[in-house]
Amino acid sequence: MAAVSRNARTALILASIALVGFLGVILKYWVMSA
Amino acid sequence: MSAAADTLAQDHGHADPHGGYGGLMRWITTTNHKDIGTLYLWFSFVMFMLGGVMALVIRAELFAPGLQIVDPDFFNQMTTMHGLIMVFGAIMPAFVGFANWLIPMQIGAPDMAFARMNNWSFWILPFAALLLVLSFFTPGGAPGVGWTLYAPLTVQMGVGMDLTIFAVHLLGMSSIMGSINIITTVLNMRAPGMTLMKMPLFCWTWLITAYLLIAVMPVLAGAVTMTLTDRHFGTSFFNAAGGGDPVLYQHIFWFFGHPEVYIIALPAFGVVSQVIPAFSRKPLFGYASMVYATSAIAILSFIVWAHHMYTVGMPVTGQLFFMYATTLIAVPTGVKVFNWVATMWKGSLTFETPMLFAIGFLFLFTLGGFTGLVLSLVPIDIQLHDTYYVVAHFHYVMVAGALFAAFAGIYFWLPKWTGRMYDETLGQWHFWLTMIFFNVTFFVQHFAGLAGMPRRIPDYPLMFETWNMISSIGAFGFGLSQLLFLYVVLKCIRRGEKAPEKPWEGADSLEWTHLPTPAPYHSFDPQPDLR
Repeated sequence: MAAVSRNARTALILASIALVGFLGVILKYWVMSA
Repeated sequence: MSAAADTLAQDHGHADPHGGYGGLMRWITTTNHKDIGTLYLWFSFVMFMLGGVMALVIRAELFAPGLQIVDPDFFNQMTTMHGLIMVFGAIMPAFVGFANWLIPMQIGAPDMAFARMNNWSFWILPFAALLLVLSFFTPGGAPGVGWTLYAPLTVQMGVGMDLTIFAVHLLGMSSIMGSINIITTVLNMRAPGMTLMKMPLFCWTWLITAYLLIAVMPVLAGAVTMTLTDRHFGTSFFNAAGGGDPVLYQHIFWFFGHPEVYIIALPAFGVVSQVIPAFSRKPLFGYASMVYATSAIAILSFIVWAHHMYTVGMPVTGQLFFMYATTLIAVPTGVKVFNWVATMWKGSLTFETPMLFAIGFLFLFTLGGFTGLVLSLVPIDIQLHDTYYVVAHFHYVMVAGALFAAFAGIYFWLPKWTGRMYDETLGQWHFWLTMIFFNVTFFVQHFAGLAGMPRRIPDYPLMFETWNMISSIGAFGFGLSQLLFLYVVLKCIRRGEKAPEKPWEGADSLEWTHLPTPAPYHSFDPQPDLR
Protein backbone atom coordinates (compact mmCIF):
# COMPACT_ATOMS: atom_id res chain seq x y z
CA MET A 1 0.00 0.00 0.00
CA ALA A 2 2.83 2.36 0.84
CA ALA A 3 4.01 2.46 -2.76
CA VAL A 4 0.50 3.10 -4.06
CA SER A 5 -0.01 6.10 -1.81
CA ARG A 6 3.41 7.35 -2.84
CA ASN A 7 2.26 7.13 -6.44
CA ALA A 8 -0.95 8.96 -5.60
CA ARG A 9 1.03 11.69 -3.83
CA THR A 10 3.28 12.17 -6.86
CA ALA A 11 0.26 12.31 -9.15
CA LEU A 12 -1.56 14.85 -6.98
CA ILE A 13 1.47 17.17 -6.94
CA LEU A 14 1.80 16.96 -10.72
CA ALA A 15 -1.93 17.44 -11.31
CA SER A 16 -1.88 20.47 -9.01
CA ILE A 17 0.96 22.01 -11.03
CA ALA A 18 -1.05 21.47 -14.22
CA LEU A 19 -4.20 22.97 -12.68
CA VAL A 20 -2.32 26.02 -11.39
CA GLY A 21 -0.85 26.52 -14.90
CA PHE A 22 -4.27 26.33 -16.53
CA LEU A 23 -6.11 28.59 -14.09
CA GLY A 24 -3.10 30.85 -13.59
CA VAL A 25 -2.78 31.88 -17.21
CA ILE A 26 -6.50 32.67 -17.47
CA LEU A 27 -6.71 34.49 -14.14
CA LYS A 28 -3.58 36.52 -14.82
CA TYR A 29 -4.98 38.04 -17.99
CA TRP A 30 -8.50 38.31 -16.54
CA VAL A 31 -7.18 40.37 -13.65
CA MET A 32 -5.00 42.42 -16.01
CA SER A 33 -7.92 43.24 -18.26
CA ALA A 34 -10.24 44.21 -15.38
CA MET B 1 7.46 -8.73 -4.98
CA SER B 2 7.05 -5.03 -4.18
CA ALA B 3 3.75 -3.66 -2.93
CA ALA B 4 3.24 -1.85 -6.22
CA ALA B 5 3.78 -4.97 -8.25
CA ASP B 6 1.51 -6.96 -5.94
CA THR B 7 -1.34 -4.48 -6.37
CA LEU B 8 -0.92 -4.37 -10.12
CA ALA B 9 -0.82 -8.13 -10.38
CA GLN B 10 -4.21 -8.34 -8.66
CA ASP B 11 -5.66 -5.49 -10.71
CA HIS B 12 -4.70 -7.13 -13.97
CA GLY B 13 -6.24 -10.48 -13.23
CA HIS B 14 -3.21 -12.66 -13.99
CA ALA B 15 -5.31 -15.80 -14.10
CA ASP B 16 -6.72 -14.52 -17.39
CA PRO B 17 -4.21 -12.32 -19.21
CA HIS B 18 -6.92 -10.24 -20.88
CA GLY B 19 -9.17 -9.79 -17.84
CA GLY B 20 -11.86 -12.13 -19.20
CA TYR B 21 -12.47 -10.13 -22.36
CA GLY B 22 -11.74 -10.98 -25.95
CA GLY B 23 -12.00 -9.17 -29.28
CA LEU B 24 -12.80 -5.48 -29.25
CA MET B 25 -13.67 -5.42 -25.53
CA ARG B 26 -10.16 -6.56 -24.70
CA TRP B 27 -8.77 -3.43 -26.36
CA ILE B 28 -11.39 -1.10 -24.90
CA THR B 29 -10.93 -2.31 -21.33
CA THR B 30 -7.24 -3.12 -21.35
CA THR B 31 -5.01 -1.72 -18.63
CA ASN B 32 -1.87 -3.47 -19.87
CA HIS B 33 0.91 -1.11 -20.86
CA LYS B 34 1.85 -3.20 -23.89
CA ASP B 35 -1.73 -3.26 -25.21
CA ILE B 36 -2.07 0.48 -24.65
CA GLY B 37 1.28 1.08 -26.34
CA THR B 38 0.04 -0.89 -29.34
CA LEU B 39 -3.21 1.13 -29.41
CA TYR B 40 -1.26 4.40 -29.36
CA LEU B 41 0.99 3.26 -32.20
CA TRP B 42 -1.87 2.13 -34.45
CA PHE B 43 -3.88 5.26 -33.69
CA SER B 44 -0.84 7.32 -34.55
CA PHE B 45 -0.42 5.49 -37.86
CA VAL B 46 -4.08 6.06 -38.82
CA MET B 47 -3.69 9.76 -38.01
CA PHE B 48 -0.42 9.83 -39.95
CA MET B 49 -2.28 8.52 -43.00
CA LEU B 50 -5.16 10.99 -42.51
CA GLY B 51 -2.81 13.95 -42.07
CA GLY B 52 -0.81 12.61 -45.01
CA VAL B 53 -3.83 12.64 -47.30
CA MET B 54 -4.43 16.26 -46.31
CA ALA B 55 -0.79 17.04 -47.15
CA LEU B 56 -1.31 15.46 -50.58
CA VAL B 57 -4.38 17.64 -51.18
CA ILE B 58 -2.20 20.65 -50.37
CA ARG B 59 0.63 19.46 -52.63
CA ALA B 60 -1.78 18.56 -55.45
CA GLU B 61 -3.19 22.09 -55.38
CA LEU B 62 0.31 23.56 -55.33
CA PHE B 63 1.58 21.38 -58.20
CA ALA B 64 0.94 24.26 -60.60
CA PRO B 65 0.05 27.95 -60.23
CA GLY B 66 -3.63 28.86 -60.26
CA LEU B 67 -6.56 27.28 -58.47
CA GLN B 68 -7.13 23.74 -59.77
CA ILE B 69 -8.52 21.35 -57.20
CA VAL B 70 -9.80 23.05 -54.03
CA ASP B 71 -11.05 26.51 -53.19
CA PRO B 72 -8.87 28.73 -50.96
CA ASP B 73 -11.12 28.26 -47.92
CA PHE B 74 -10.80 24.50 -48.06
CA PHE B 75 -7.07 24.83 -48.71
CA ASN B 76 -6.74 26.76 -45.43
CA GLN B 77 -8.75 24.08 -43.65
CA MET B 78 -6.38 21.46 -45.03
CA THR B 79 -3.23 23.25 -43.82
CA THR B 80 -4.80 23.75 -40.38
CA MET B 81 -6.00 20.20 -39.92
CA HIS B 82 -2.85 18.69 -41.44
CA GLY B 83 -0.78 20.51 -38.81
CA LEU B 84 -3.06 19.74 -35.86
CA ILE B 85 -3.49 16.08 -36.79
CA MET B 86 0.19 15.46 -37.46
CA VAL B 87 1.41 17.20 -34.29
CA PHE B 88 -1.26 16.10 -31.80
CA GLY B 89 -2.64 12.98 -33.48
CA ALA B 90 0.35 11.35 -35.14
CA ILE B 91 3.76 12.31 -33.74
CA MET B 92 2.94 12.82 -30.06
CA PRO B 93 0.84 9.64 -29.67
CA ALA B 94 3.51 7.64 -31.54
CA PHE B 95 6.09 8.45 -28.88
CA VAL B 96 3.57 7.93 -26.07
CA GLY B 97 3.10 4.48 -27.63
CA PHE B 98 6.84 3.87 -27.38
CA ALA B 99 6.79 5.14 -23.78
CA ASN B 100 4.00 2.76 -22.84
CA TRP B 101 5.66 -0.23 -24.40
CA LEU B 102 9.18 0.48 -23.25
CA ILE B 103 9.42 2.46 -20.02
CA PRO B 104 8.11 -0.29 -17.71
CA MET B 105 10.28 -2.88 -19.45
CA GLN B 106 13.38 -0.68 -19.40
CA ILE B 107 13.17 0.21 -15.70
CA GLY B 108 12.02 -3.22 -14.55
CA ALA B 109 8.47 -2.22 -13.55
CA PRO B 110 5.46 -4.54 -13.96
CA ASP B 111 3.30 -1.86 -15.61
CA MET B 112 2.60 1.88 -15.57
CA ALA B 113 1.80 3.40 -12.17
CA PHE B 114 -1.85 4.17 -13.00
CA ALA B 115 -2.99 1.45 -15.34
CA ARG B 116 -6.65 2.52 -15.53
CA MET B 117 -5.76 6.16 -16.10
CA ASN B 118 -3.46 4.90 -18.84
CA ASN B 119 -6.46 3.31 -20.56
CA TRP B 120 -8.39 6.57 -20.21
CA SER B 121 -5.48 8.62 -21.57
CA PHE B 122 -5.61 6.63 -24.78
CA TRP B 123 -9.36 6.33 -25.26
CA ILE B 124 -9.81 10.10 -25.04
CA LEU B 125 -7.77 10.42 -28.23
CA PRO B 126 -10.16 8.88 -30.77
CA PHE B 127 -12.92 11.20 -29.56
CA ALA B 128 -10.64 14.21 -29.93
CA ALA B 129 -9.77 13.07 -33.45
CA LEU B 130 -13.48 12.60 -34.17
CA LEU B 131 -14.19 16.18 -33.10
CA LEU B 132 -11.46 17.45 -35.43
CA VAL B 133 -12.85 15.47 -38.35
CA LEU B 134 -16.47 16.41 -37.55
CA SER B 135 -15.53 20.09 -37.76
CA PHE B 136 -15.36 19.66 -41.55
CA PHE B 137 -19.10 18.97 -41.58
CA THR B 138 -20.18 22.04 -39.60
CA PRO B 139 -21.44 25.24 -41.26
CA GLY B 140 -18.36 27.05 -42.53
CA GLY B 141 -16.30 23.89 -42.29
CA ALA B 142 -13.19 23.24 -40.23
CA PRO B 143 -11.21 26.21 -38.97
CA GLY B 144 -8.82 27.61 -41.56
CA VAL B 145 -6.64 29.51 -39.14
CA GLY B 146 -3.42 27.49 -39.21
CA TRP B 147 -2.41 24.93 -36.56
CA THR B 148 -1.33 27.82 -34.31
CA LEU B 149 -4.98 28.88 -33.97
CA TYR B 150 -4.08 32.59 -34.02
CA ALA B 151 -6.51 35.26 -32.86
CA PRO B 152 -8.38 37.21 -34.10
CA LEU B 153 -9.26 34.73 -36.91
CA THR B 154 -10.23 32.14 -34.28
CA VAL B 155 -12.72 34.58 -32.79
CA GLN B 156 -14.39 34.98 -36.21
CA MET B 157 -14.60 31.29 -37.28
CA GLY B 158 -17.73 29.11 -37.31
CA VAL B 159 -18.82 26.22 -35.10
CA GLY B 160 -15.91 24.09 -36.38
CA MET B 161 -13.63 26.27 -34.23
CA ASP B 162 -15.50 25.25 -31.07
CA LEU B 163 -15.11 21.58 -31.94
CA THR B 164 -11.40 22.16 -32.49
CA ILE B 165 -11.07 23.94 -29.14
CA PHE B 166 -12.73 21.03 -27.36
CA ALA B 167 -10.51 18.61 -29.28
CA VAL B 168 -7.43 20.52 -28.08
CA HIS B 169 -8.77 20.34 -24.51
CA LEU B 170 -9.18 16.57 -24.79
CA LEU B 171 -5.76 16.11 -26.39
CA GLY B 172 -4.24 18.18 -23.60
CA MET B 173 -6.00 16.16 -20.89
CA SER B 174 -4.74 12.96 -22.48
CA SER B 175 -1.18 14.29 -22.60
CA ILE B 176 -1.25 15.51 -18.99
CA MET B 177 -2.62 12.20 -17.70
CA GLY B 178 -0.02 10.31 -19.74
CA SER B 179 2.73 12.54 -18.36
CA ILE B 180 1.60 12.07 -14.76
CA ASN B 181 1.71 8.33 -15.38
CA ILE B 182 5.18 8.41 -16.92
CA ILE B 183 6.74 10.62 -14.23
CA THR B 184 5.20 8.57 -11.41
CA THR B 185 6.28 5.30 -13.01
CA VAL B 186 9.86 6.43 -13.58
CA LEU B 187 10.27 8.05 -10.16
CA ASN B 188 8.55 5.44 -8.01
CA MET B 189 8.54 2.09 -9.77
CA ARG B 190 12.09 1.42 -10.91
CA ALA B 191 13.47 -2.01 -10.04
CA PRO B 192 15.86 -2.15 -7.06
CA GLY B 193 19.29 -1.08 -8.30
CA MET B 194 17.93 0.78 -11.36
CA THR B 195 19.14 4.22 -10.31
CA LEU B 196 18.16 7.26 -12.36
CA MET B 197 21.63 7.47 -13.89
CA LYS B 198 21.48 3.82 -14.94
CA MET B 199 18.22 4.24 -16.86
CA PRO B 200 18.32 3.91 -20.63
CA LEU B 201 18.39 7.33 -22.24
CA PHE B 202 14.93 6.78 -23.74
CA CYS B 203 13.48 6.82 -20.18
CA TRP B 204 15.42 9.97 -19.34
CA THR B 205 14.22 11.82 -22.42
CA TRP B 206 10.63 10.82 -21.67
CA LEU B 207 10.91 11.84 -18.00
CA ILE B 208 12.03 15.31 -19.08
CA THR B 209 9.43 15.45 -21.85
CA ALA B 210 6.68 14.57 -19.37
CA TYR B 211 7.73 17.49 -17.14
CA LEU B 212 7.61 19.76 -20.19
CA LEU B 213 4.10 18.54 -20.99
CA ILE B 214 2.89 19.15 -17.43
CA ALA B 215 4.32 22.67 -17.62
CA VAL B 216 3.05 23.82 -21.00
CA MET B 217 -0.06 21.83 -21.95
CA PRO B 218 -2.18 23.71 -19.38
CA VAL B 219 -0.95 26.98 -20.92
CA LEU B 220 -2.30 25.92 -24.33
CA ALA B 221 -5.52 24.79 -22.68
CA GLY B 222 -5.75 28.22 -21.01
CA ALA B 223 -5.16 30.00 -24.33
CA VAL B 224 -7.87 28.08 -26.20
CA THR B 225 -10.24 28.48 -23.24
CA MET B 226 -9.72 32.25 -23.43
CA THR B 227 -10.43 32.01 -27.17
CA LEU B 228 -13.63 30.15 -26.34
CA THR B 229 -14.76 32.79 -23.83
CA ASP B 230 -13.92 35.51 -26.36
CA ARG B 231 -16.16 33.73 -28.86
CA HIS B 232 -19.13 33.04 -26.61
CA PHE B 233 -18.95 34.74 -23.22
CA GLY B 234 -18.23 38.37 -24.03
CA THR B 235 -14.60 38.53 -22.90
CA SER B 236 -11.96 40.32 -24.95
CA PHE B 237 -8.66 38.67 -24.16
CA PHE B 238 -7.58 38.57 -27.79
CA ASN B 239 -10.27 40.54 -29.57
CA ALA B 240 -8.94 44.00 -30.46
CA ALA B 241 -12.48 45.25 -31.08
CA GLY B 242 -13.19 44.81 -27.36
CA GLY B 243 -9.82 46.13 -26.15
CA GLY B 244 -8.01 42.79 -26.28
CA ASP B 245 -4.63 42.02 -27.78
CA PRO B 246 -4.22 39.42 -30.58
CA VAL B 247 -0.44 39.49 -30.06
CA LEU B 248 -1.00 38.32 -26.47
CA TYR B 249 -2.37 35.09 -27.93
CA GLN B 250 0.81 34.61 -29.93
CA HIS B 251 2.95 35.05 -26.81
CA ILE B 252 0.88 32.54 -24.84
CA PHE B 253 0.68 30.09 -27.72
CA TRP B 254 4.44 30.08 -28.35
CA PHE B 255 5.18 29.77 -24.63
CA PHE B 256 3.53 26.39 -25.20
CA GLY B 257 4.61 25.99 -28.81
CA HIS B 258 8.36 26.09 -28.52
CA PRO B 259 8.63 23.56 -25.68
CA GLU B 260 6.20 21.53 -27.83
CA VAL B 261 8.95 21.24 -30.44
CA TYR B 262 11.11 19.55 -27.80
CA ILE B 263 8.18 17.50 -26.53
CA ILE B 264 8.29 15.98 -30.00
CA ALA B 265 12.07 15.96 -30.45
CA LEU B 266 13.31 14.70 -27.06
CA PRO B 267 11.66 11.24 -27.20
CA ALA B 268 13.03 10.98 -30.75
CA PHE B 269 16.49 11.70 -29.32
CA GLY B 270 15.83 8.95 -26.79
CA VAL B 271 14.97 6.37 -29.46
CA VAL B 272 18.05 7.26 -31.52
CA SER B 273 20.19 7.03 -28.36
CA GLN B 274 19.07 3.40 -28.02
CA VAL B 275 19.46 2.46 -31.67
CA ILE B 276 22.88 3.96 -32.49
CA PRO B 277 24.79 2.20 -29.64
CA ALA B 278 23.08 -1.12 -30.47
CA PHE B 279 24.28 -1.08 -34.08
CA SER B 280 27.68 0.41 -33.17
CA ARG B 281 28.17 -2.34 -30.58
CA LYS B 282 29.44 0.26 -28.14
CA PRO B 283 27.92 1.95 -25.10
CA LEU B 284 26.46 5.41 -25.70
CA PHE B 285 29.27 7.97 -25.63
CA GLY B 286 28.88 10.58 -22.87
CA TYR B 287 25.75 9.21 -21.16
CA ALA B 288 25.81 11.77 -18.34
CA SER B 289 26.38 14.66 -20.74
CA MET B 290 23.40 13.41 -22.79
CA VAL B 291 21.19 13.61 -19.68
CA TYR B 292 22.43 17.11 -18.84
CA ALA B 293 22.13 18.26 -22.47
CA THR B 294 18.53 17.00 -22.61
CA SER B 295 17.73 18.89 -19.41
CA ALA B 296 19.45 22.03 -20.72
CA ILE B 297 17.44 21.90 -23.97
CA ALA B 298 14.21 21.54 -21.96
CA ILE B 299 15.03 24.48 -19.67
CA LEU B 300 16.15 26.74 -22.53
CA SER B 301 12.97 25.92 -24.46
CA PHE B 302 11.03 28.09 -21.98
CA ILE B 303 12.91 31.30 -22.79
CA VAL B 304 12.96 31.35 -26.58
CA TRP B 305 9.29 31.50 -27.55
CA ALA B 306 9.29 34.94 -29.16
CA HIS B 307 11.71 33.87 -31.91
CA HIS B 308 8.52 32.67 -33.64
CA MET B 309 7.18 36.21 -33.70
CA TYR B 310 10.03 38.65 -34.31
CA THR B 311 7.90 40.39 -36.91
CA VAL B 312 4.98 41.34 -34.62
CA GLY B 313 6.96 44.25 -33.27
CA MET B 314 9.05 44.09 -30.14
CA PRO B 315 11.89 46.12 -28.63
CA VAL B 316 15.35 45.50 -30.05
CA THR B 317 16.48 44.31 -26.62
CA GLY B 318 13.69 41.73 -26.72
CA GLN B 319 14.75 40.58 -30.18
CA LEU B 320 18.37 40.34 -29.04
CA PHE B 321 17.45 38.37 -25.92
CA PHE B 322 15.39 35.81 -27.83
CA MET B 323 18.00 35.58 -30.60
CA TYR B 324 20.88 34.89 -28.19
CA ALA B 325 18.80 32.48 -26.08
CA THR B 326 17.80 30.57 -29.22
CA THR B 327 21.33 30.26 -30.56
CA LEU B 328 22.32 28.98 -27.10
CA ILE B 329 20.18 25.87 -27.67
CA ALA B 330 22.63 24.86 -30.39
CA VAL B 331 25.18 24.09 -27.63
CA PRO B 332 23.38 21.19 -25.85
CA THR B 333 22.00 20.02 -29.21
CA GLY B 334 25.55 20.00 -30.56
CA VAL B 335 26.63 17.94 -27.53
CA LYS B 336 24.04 15.34 -28.49
CA VAL B 337 25.01 15.21 -32.15
CA PHE B 338 28.69 14.96 -31.14
CA ASN B 339 27.92 12.09 -28.74
CA TRP B 340 25.95 10.13 -31.36
CA VAL B 341 28.80 10.49 -33.85
CA ALA B 342 31.37 9.63 -31.15
CA THR B 343 29.32 6.52 -30.30
CA MET B 344 29.68 5.36 -33.91
CA TRP B 345 33.39 6.27 -34.01
CA LYS B 346 35.45 3.05 -34.23
CA GLY B 347 32.31 1.04 -33.53
CA SER B 348 31.60 -2.29 -35.17
CA LEU B 349 28.89 -0.76 -37.35
CA THR B 350 26.18 -2.59 -39.26
CA PHE B 351 23.46 -0.90 -41.23
CA GLU B 352 20.16 -2.68 -40.66
CA THR B 353 16.97 -0.65 -41.21
CA PRO B 354 16.78 0.84 -37.68
CA MET B 355 20.37 2.09 -37.98
CA LEU B 356 19.70 3.50 -41.45
CA PHE B 357 16.77 5.51 -40.13
CA ALA B 358 18.84 6.63 -37.11
CA ILE B 359 21.65 7.87 -39.36
CA GLY B 360 19.08 9.45 -41.68
CA PHE B 361 17.68 11.19 -38.60
CA LEU B 362 21.14 12.36 -37.55
CA PHE B 363 21.98 13.78 -40.95
CA LEU B 364 18.67 15.46 -41.72
CA PHE B 365 17.76 16.60 -38.21
CA THR B 366 21.14 18.34 -38.00
CA LEU B 367 20.31 20.07 -41.29
CA GLY B 368 16.94 21.12 -39.82
CA GLY B 369 18.79 22.38 -36.75
CA PHE B 370 21.10 24.49 -38.91
CA THR B 371 18.20 26.11 -40.76
CA GLY B 372 16.66 26.74 -37.33
CA LEU B 373 19.83 28.54 -36.37
CA VAL B 374 19.52 30.63 -39.54
CA LEU B 375 15.93 31.50 -38.62
CA SER B 376 16.88 32.40 -35.06
CA LEU B 377 18.78 35.44 -36.37
CA VAL B 378 16.48 38.46 -36.33
CA PRO B 379 17.66 40.18 -39.55
CA ILE B 380 17.34 36.96 -41.55
CA ASP B 381 14.08 35.85 -39.94
CA ILE B 382 12.43 39.15 -40.82
CA GLN B 383 13.11 38.27 -44.47
CA LEU B 384 12.16 34.61 -44.21
CA HIS B 385 9.26 34.75 -41.74
CA ASP B 386 6.16 32.93 -43.05
CA THR B 387 7.97 31.75 -46.19
CA TYR B 388 8.47 28.21 -47.43
CA TYR B 389 11.96 28.31 -45.89
CA VAL B 390 10.22 27.98 -42.51
CA VAL B 391 8.03 25.16 -43.86
CA ALA B 392 11.15 23.33 -45.06
CA HIS B 393 12.92 23.92 -41.74
CA PHE B 394 10.22 22.51 -39.49
CA HIS B 395 9.56 19.54 -41.74
CA TYR B 396 13.25 18.65 -41.46
CA VAL B 397 12.77 18.73 -37.68
CA MET B 398 9.34 17.09 -37.48
CA VAL B 399 9.54 14.52 -40.28
CA ALA B 400 13.25 13.79 -40.67
CA GLY B 401 13.64 14.26 -36.92
CA ALA B 402 10.65 12.76 -35.17
CA LEU B 403 9.23 10.49 -37.88
CA PHE B 404 12.57 8.98 -38.91
CA ALA B 405 13.32 8.28 -35.23
CA ALA B 406 9.88 6.67 -34.84
CA PHE B 407 10.58 4.43 -37.86
CA ALA B 408 13.99 3.54 -36.40
CA GLY B 409 12.32 2.62 -33.12
CA ILE B 410 9.55 0.59 -34.73
CA TYR B 411 11.98 -1.52 -36.79
CA PHE B 412 14.25 -1.85 -33.74
CA TRP B 413 11.59 -3.06 -31.32
CA LEU B 414 9.24 -4.93 -33.73
CA PRO B 415 10.98 -8.27 -32.96
CA LYS B 416 10.54 -7.66 -29.22
CA TRP B 417 6.90 -6.65 -29.66
CA THR B 418 5.79 -9.31 -32.14
CA GLY B 419 8.33 -12.12 -31.73
CA ARG B 420 8.88 -11.96 -35.49
CA MET B 421 11.44 -10.36 -37.76
CA TYR B 422 10.50 -7.81 -40.37
CA ASP B 423 11.65 -8.22 -43.98
CA GLU B 424 15.07 -6.55 -43.96
CA THR B 425 15.17 -6.02 -47.73
CA LEU B 426 11.77 -4.31 -47.77
CA GLY B 427 12.72 -2.32 -44.67
CA GLN B 428 15.77 -0.97 -46.46
CA TRP B 429 13.65 -0.17 -49.53
CA HIS B 430 11.32 1.74 -47.23
CA PHE B 431 14.25 3.71 -45.82
CA TRP B 432 15.76 4.67 -49.15
CA LEU B 433 12.43 5.60 -50.75
CA THR B 434 11.52 7.67 -47.69
CA MET B 435 14.94 9.32 -47.59
CA ILE B 436 14.95 10.22 -51.28
CA PHE B 437 11.34 11.40 -51.53
CA PHE B 438 11.57 13.34 -48.26
CA ASN B 439 14.44 15.39 -49.67
CA VAL B 440 12.76 15.79 -53.06
CA THR B 441 9.71 17.15 -51.23
CA PHE B 442 11.29 19.45 -48.70
CA PHE B 443 14.82 20.41 -49.81
CA VAL B 444 13.48 22.41 -52.73
CA GLN B 445 11.14 24.28 -50.40
CA HIS B 446 14.19 26.07 -48.98
CA PHE B 447 14.77 27.62 -52.41
CA ALA B 448 11.12 28.56 -52.87
CA GLY B 449 11.24 30.24 -49.45
CA LEU B 450 14.52 32.03 -50.12
CA ALA B 451 12.95 33.35 -53.34
CA GLY B 452 10.08 34.73 -51.25
CA MET B 453 7.20 32.26 -51.61
CA PRO B 454 4.81 32.74 -48.66
CA ARG B 455 3.40 29.72 -46.80
CA ARG B 456 -0.34 28.94 -46.50
CA ILE B 457 -1.29 30.16 -49.99
CA PRO B 458 -3.16 28.04 -52.55
CA ASP B 459 -1.90 30.02 -55.55
CA TYR B 460 1.46 31.57 -56.38
CA PRO B 461 3.36 33.45 -59.10
CA LEU B 462 4.85 31.51 -62.03
CA MET B 463 8.40 32.03 -60.75
CA PHE B 464 7.83 29.39 -58.04
CA GLU B 465 6.39 26.76 -60.40
CA THR B 466 9.43 24.48 -60.80
CA TRP B 467 10.18 24.18 -57.06
CA ASN B 468 6.53 23.42 -56.33
CA MET B 469 6.23 20.85 -59.08
CA ILE B 470 9.30 18.98 -57.79
CA SER B 471 8.03 19.23 -54.21
CA SER B 472 4.59 17.85 -55.13
CA ILE B 473 6.09 14.89 -57.03
CA GLY B 474 8.26 14.15 -54.00
CA ALA B 475 5.27 14.37 -51.66
CA PHE B 476 3.29 11.76 -53.58
CA GLY B 477 6.35 9.48 -53.70
CA PHE B 478 6.83 9.97 -49.95
CA GLY B 479 3.17 9.17 -49.25
CA LEU B 480 3.18 6.02 -51.39
CA SER B 481 6.41 4.85 -49.71
CA GLN B 482 4.57 4.74 -46.40
CA LEU B 483 2.18 2.12 -47.81
CA LEU B 484 5.28 -0.07 -48.12
CA PHE B 485 5.92 0.54 -44.41
CA LEU B 486 2.39 -0.64 -43.61
CA TYR B 487 2.99 -3.76 -45.73
CA VAL B 488 6.31 -4.49 -43.98
CA VAL B 489 4.71 -4.21 -40.53
CA LEU B 490 1.68 -6.35 -41.45
CA LYS B 491 3.91 -8.94 -43.10
CA CYS B 492 6.08 -9.04 -39.98
CA ILE B 493 3.06 -9.52 -37.70
CA ARG B 494 1.36 -12.17 -39.86
CA ARG B 495 4.14 -14.25 -41.31
CA GLY B 496 7.53 -12.85 -40.32
CA GLU B 497 10.28 -15.30 -39.44
CA LYS B 498 10.52 -16.14 -35.75
CA ALA B 499 12.80 -13.63 -34.07
CA PRO B 500 15.78 -14.88 -32.08
CA GLU B 501 15.82 -14.06 -28.35
CA LYS B 502 18.17 -11.14 -28.98
CA PRO B 503 18.18 -10.15 -32.64
CA TRP B 504 20.46 -7.12 -32.08
CA GLU B 505 23.65 -8.23 -30.36
CA GLY B 506 24.54 -4.70 -29.25
CA ALA B 507 21.19 -4.01 -27.52
CA ASP B 508 21.76 -3.91 -23.77
CA SER B 509 18.67 -2.48 -22.04
CA LEU B 510 16.51 -4.63 -19.75
CA GLU B 511 13.86 -5.53 -22.34
CA TRP B 512 16.59 -7.28 -24.36
CA THR B 513 18.68 -8.72 -21.52
CA HIS B 514 16.04 -9.75 -18.95
CA LEU B 515 12.94 -10.62 -20.99
CA PRO B 516 12.21 -13.27 -23.62
CA THR B 517 11.23 -12.41 -27.21
CA PRO B 518 8.38 -11.68 -27.74
CA ALA B 519 7.94 -9.86 -24.43
CA PRO B 520 5.37 -11.70 -22.27
CA TYR B 521 2.02 -10.02 -21.66
CA HIS B 522 3.00 -9.41 -18.04
CA SER B 523 6.64 -8.71 -17.42
CA PHE B 524 8.88 -8.10 -14.39
CA ASP B 525 6.47 -9.56 -11.92
CA PRO B 526 8.33 -9.87 -9.55
CA GLN B 527 10.70 -7.02 -10.29
CA PRO B 528 14.32 -7.94 -11.03
CA ASP B 529 17.00 -7.07 -8.47
CA LEU B 530 19.65 -5.10 -10.33
CA ARG B 531 21.82 -4.15 -7.34
